[in-house]
Amino acid sequence: MNKRKSDEYTGHFKKYKPNGTTVLYQRPPILHIDPAKDTFIFQELELDNYVGNVYPGMPGPQSGPVPIIRMFGITKEGNSVCCHVHGFSPYFYINLPTTFSNGDLGPFKDKLNEALINDIRGGNRDGITDAVLIVEIIKGKNLVEYHGDDDEPFAKITLSQHKFVPAAKRLLSTQIIYQSLSNHNFQFFESNVDIETRFMVDTNILGCCWIELPPKTWYERTDFSAHSKTSRCQIEVDVAWDNFISHAPEGEWGDVAQFRIHSFDIECAGRKGIFPEPKIDPIIQIANVIQLHGVKEVMARNIFCLKSCAPIGHAEVYCYEDESKMLEAWAQFVRELDPDIFTGYNINNFDFPYLLERAKHLKVQNFDFLGRLLNVRSQIKETTTQTKIGKRMYKTINFEGRVPYDMLLVIKRDFKLRSYTLNSVCQEILGEQKEDVHYSIITDLQNGDEQTRRRLAVYCLKDADLPLRLINTVLSFTNDVEMARVTGVPITSLLTKGEQVKVVAQLLRHAREAGYFMPAHQGTPAQEQYEGATVIEPARGYYTDPIATLDFSSLYPSIMIAHNLCYTTLIKSTIMKDKLGLTNDQVTSTPVNSLFVKSSVRPGLLPHILQHLLAARKKTKALLKDAKDPVLKAVLNGRQLAYKISANSVYGFTGAQVGKLPCLEISGSVTAYGRAMIEQTKQEVEQHYTIQNGYETDAKVIYGDTDSVMVNFKVKTLERSMELGKEAAELISTKFISPIKLEFEKVYYPYLLINKKRYAGLYFTKPDKYDKMDCKGIETVRRDNCTLVVDVIGTCLQKLLIDRDPDGAVNYAKLVISDLLQNNIDISQLVITKELSKEDYAAKQAHVELAKKMKKRDPGNAPKIGDRIPYVITAGNRNAKAFEKAEDPIYVLENNIPIDARYYLENQLSKPLVRIFQPILGDNAESILLRGEHTRTRTVVTSKVGALSAFTQKKETCLGCKSVLPKGYENEAVCAHCKPKEASIFQQELCHHRMLEDRFSELFTECQRCQGSLHEEILCTSRDCPIFYIRKKVQMELDNSKKKVARFGDPLAVEEDESSNQDIF
Amino acid sequence: MFEARLASSATFKKVLDAIKDLLNEASFDCSDAGIQLQAMDNSHVSLVSLNLKSDGFEKYRCDRNLTMGMNLASLSKVFRCSGSDDTVTIKAQDDADTVTFMFEAKKQEKISDYEMKLMNLDQEHLGIPETEFSCIIKLPSGEFARIVRDLSQFGESIVISCTKEGVKFSTQGDIGTGNVKLAQTNNFDKEDQSVIIDMQEPVSLTFSCEYLNSFTKATPLSNQVTLSLCDNVPLVVEYQIPDLGHLKYYLAPKIEEDEN
Repeated sequence: MNKRKSDEYTGHFKKYKPNGTTVLYQRPPILHIDPAKDTFIFQELELDNYVGNVYPGMPGPQSGPVPIIRMFGITKEGNSVCCHVHGFSPYFYINLPTTFSNGDLGPFKDKLNEALINDIRGGNRDGITDAVLIVEIIKGKNLVEYHGDDDEPFAKITLSQHKFVPAAKRLLSTQIIYQSLSNHNFQFFESNVDIETRFMVDTNILGCCWIELPPKTWYERTDFSAHSKTSRCQIEVDVAWDNFISHAPEGEWGDVAQFRIHSFDIECAGRKGIFPEPKIDPIIQIANVIQLHGVKEVMARNIFCLKSCAPIGHAEVYCYEDESKMLEAWAQFVRELDPDIFTGYNINNFDFPYLLERAKHLKVQNFDFLGRLLNVRSQIKETTTQTKIGKRMYKTINFEGRVPYDMLLVIKRDFKLRSYTLNSVCQEILGEQKEDVHYSIITDLQNGDEQTRRRLAVYCLKDADLPLRLINTVLSFTNDVEMARVTGVPITSLLTKGEQVKVVAQLLRHAREAGYFMPAHQGTPAQEQYEGATVIEPARGYYTDPIATLDFSSLYPSIMIAHNLCYTTLIKSTIMKDKLGLTNDQVTSTPVNSLFVKSSVRPGLLPHILQHLLAARKKTKALLKDAKDPVLKAVLNGRQLAYKISANSVYGFTGAQVGKLPCLEISGSVTAYGRAMIEQTKQEVEQHYTIQNGYETDAKVIYGDTDSVMVNFKVKTLERSMELGKEAAELISTKFISPIKLEFEKVYYPYLLINKKRYAGLYFTKPDKYDKMDCKGIETVRRDNCTLVVDVIGTCLQKLLIDRDPDGAVNYAKLVISDLLQNNIDISQLVITKELSKEDYAAKQAHVELAKKMKKRDPGNAPKIGDRIPYVITAGNRNAKAFEKAEDPIYVLENNIPIDARYYLENQLSKPLVRIFQPILGDNAESILLRGEHTRTRTVVTSKVGALSAFTQKKETCLGCKSVLPKGYENEAVCAHCKPKEASIFQQELCHHRMLEDRFSELFTECQRCQGSLHEEILCTSRDCPIFYIRKKVQMELDNSKKKVARFGDPLAVEEDESSNQDIF
Repeated sequence: MFEARLASSATFKKVLDAIKDLLNEASFDCSDAGIQLQAMDNSHVSLVSLNLKSDGFEKYRCDRNLTMGMNLASLSKVFRCSGSDDTVTIKAQDDADTVTFMFEAKKQEKISDYEMKLMNLDQEHLGIPETEFSCIIKLPSGEFARIVRDLSQFGESIVISCTKEGVKFSTQGDIGTGNVKLAQTNNFDKEDQSVIIDMQEPVSLTFSCEYLNSFTKATPLSNQVTLSLCDNVPLVVEYQIPDLGHLKYYLAPKIEEDEN
């Protein structure tokens, strides 16, 4: 504890005093526990390994550096735990020739040991004598291919450290280590498994499961014990690897401890127009929000501010005059808080690196001890990973014992959105906007007074609040905990690693139980492609009859189970089949001519895993039905989802050509079976449901895709259609091998079938009310579309499906087109956004060109790599390319640049609109929609920029009939012909003016509400917010309208008007 | 009521061909004085100004000022239906949303009429104030078209430099450079083939080839073209329509920065 003088600071503001007067943030005190008598239980969250010294009395090698597994977690009471697990040694398997006998074991071990020690880079400085601990012969089977039922000999090579595993593999395959194995073709098994996975598999630890240490098996580290504490955890213990119990997350072990989640956000005072750089720009505020997992209320909110800040109702404010002091206090606060999970928005790539680099620059000592280990500093590392999201460069920072759970990564992984700014994510998921303060004005706020800093603090706190609200809304943490438990991987790997680790972990667990060894797959991806799923040619149309949908439940998993498709049942060739003496009844030949033994010969491992997953899911779903508690419900739902995803990912794993263990025979067969089944279903339905067989009409399959078939029974009521659907599902299920099952799930009524993978319908599961509107493959999420398209399509579908009003839908579409041509569409709806990434320079792209243009205009505010650039397409020369016509929406608004309505009509709206209306309007759709009467009124906008605009003069036209006013009458409002109607024209204009005024004040109030203060200036320049654009546009229209009204020259009306406007601008 | 009868529909057709590249739709402002059209092209770089005097029509009646918005592509479809020596009568009611074109063949007893839907264009009316020019160059319109076409093969812009000796059009591009010099001709016998330069002070300005090329679509209207240049003022390319009026194009000069 270091005592600091409260030196330069004498203000009346609170400062955060670590370990001082407040215990607000500390964990609950530890209850006394006695290793000799007490059982110690905790929930494990994070797991890593380190190389350390031998702990006396533990199994494993007794000398030299040894690998030690470290588990972090918390107890039920909320105390943090660090548990060192000793004595676990890594190992792998190799195949052996039959000539290899027990007598060879000793010499082979010595030779390999010698080779490994000589191989240590830089010499054997640690004085290691035993690199190889044990070599033993184990009987078992290769996971891949059926070789008969006899076990084969394998050598299990146990090594003292994990780093020897790849070395041993390399040495064995490249050098002759042992003479009698010189001609042996070495195959390696499980050598590519990392030590954490190995440990978890061997000890049955799943992600986030409860660990029980029985009395007398464990030792507590205290200030007085021989081994001193190495972590900041409240409790630190040691245990042998084979001496604890890992509880499967069922029953009483199913709940989740109250993990501490710490969400934070920083603000930096950047220079005008330059993105903050940690070497120059100070951190001015750090907002923190703390919540316990599973507890509804937030535990605490506070904010660390540089300079004074007025008090905030819902948060503690701590002020500092010196930035270093603030950072130091914050780090101390984090250590005292001892969170299990860090969250925030983009903390991995911005907040954390910035904090660390800034602290380094300011030479704040001890700032970077943010993890749980006493002597390990958090450091930034850059790594590339391959996940579902694609290849990405990550900054990773080590926080031993704490999990960085960046919500940006979670949202990117789980949601497909148009934009991933915090603002638009909140709008999509939470349904609310937040104000967006551009980083260039943050400095101004900071340099203001304590009120402006309070303003900033409120904004900053909101940014720390939102990630937590996102977690609570999308339940991602709950779901990830369940996923970790189901697949048995640590929770951290769900964010940082790909899909495959999950399957590998399950495969390893089950292979171990069944006596299989998983080969370490090596090799380049094969070029061969297998055929995907089948699609029945759609009979396009707008169906006003109910359309029943029959789905195969868990199609791919059930195919694998039904046909016993697995690595372990694969027979590579007919020669092999004959050699093994298998008869034709014992072997299945799949539609792509791959051979697999039937389950009567050997039940496959994958079918076994899948059965386990499906059964578990069924069980969970049953529990879910009875569950009342919303928290439990969320947990169970997360778990059943995890089972489903895991079951489906097995198929993907066998087909992943750059994967850990691809097997195209399996994945190819699965899809081939799927295709055949869809076809068969179609035939069965159409043969059975006919007038001949006594049904009302001849049923027709109008479409089918992957695992579902859409049937038009041509009946008029939902009830009858559902009845027939259920009947058909049961009838056809009997024609397939169990567990393949056809289920009747829903009826679409009405149903709009546009094309393959493109359809929309009103989704009914019960006859009285529809569940939702279901749209597939229709322009709703494509990011290169403007929101106008999404909105129009959405509204049209709503009119078509819910209102059943095709004419209304057509009229609506026409109205929008007409608005577009008359420049009445809000610019926010026309904005297209694309991310500016480095690689884009090869071909010219709209957003890249625009970024260059903006840089020329104002180098300070130009977009940077990684920014998402919003743009609109403006009217240009006939031959101009789209990329030349892209323009910044704000610039367009300010300069009244005309929008290229034709581009939006032809390149954005026309295709999707014509597509959805073609089934209704037929081939005329295009002509009706795009060239009808409604396209004949247009507004031509005159830009304020452009080469000629400097020279042109506007001629006044009559406000009544738009004809040019003759010379000498330019100041009149109307022409001589319209003079009689002047009064009514004036009324019209005034009315319009009033309408704009009302509109503007509404919008203004909306923004004031959003910023949470009605008497402060609006700072928000959020480019994701439609209100922002509308506000700008109305402001300009109001300006014009004011001038128009003024032309009537009625002094009274004008004066009144202007005075009321003055306030607004 | 608006009614205008033009002896040669071909003239109107030529006018149409001369502007439809630059404009998609346009408002025709009709008044006692005649028909006027003034509009900027889509990218706001050039301006088209058409003036057809009422005297040039065989018959002209315009009861009140009237603005007719037309889609030029549709309009040229209508005029494609007229014979080369037809007369055309344009008719519209005061508050109508259509306009009628009636074509009468001179020798045959054939009358055809086409009614076209008008567009309601909400547009600002723009004008360019009259200015003094440093150089006014008159040259055969065919020659001008040829020069622009030739030079635009090489580069994106043409420099027009005018001195006492003559006028020089030059360009440069990736493959090289091109220059065309025209000297003032003294052959006043054939006025339409002569080059006449009226220079106050020398100028040198740069213009986009693309737009100049579009302007030369008006070549069939007139044998002569007039280029008026002055620093910091748009170039005016003017074609006289014999006995009927004129068609003027305004084009802003390129500023050095723009070229990159």
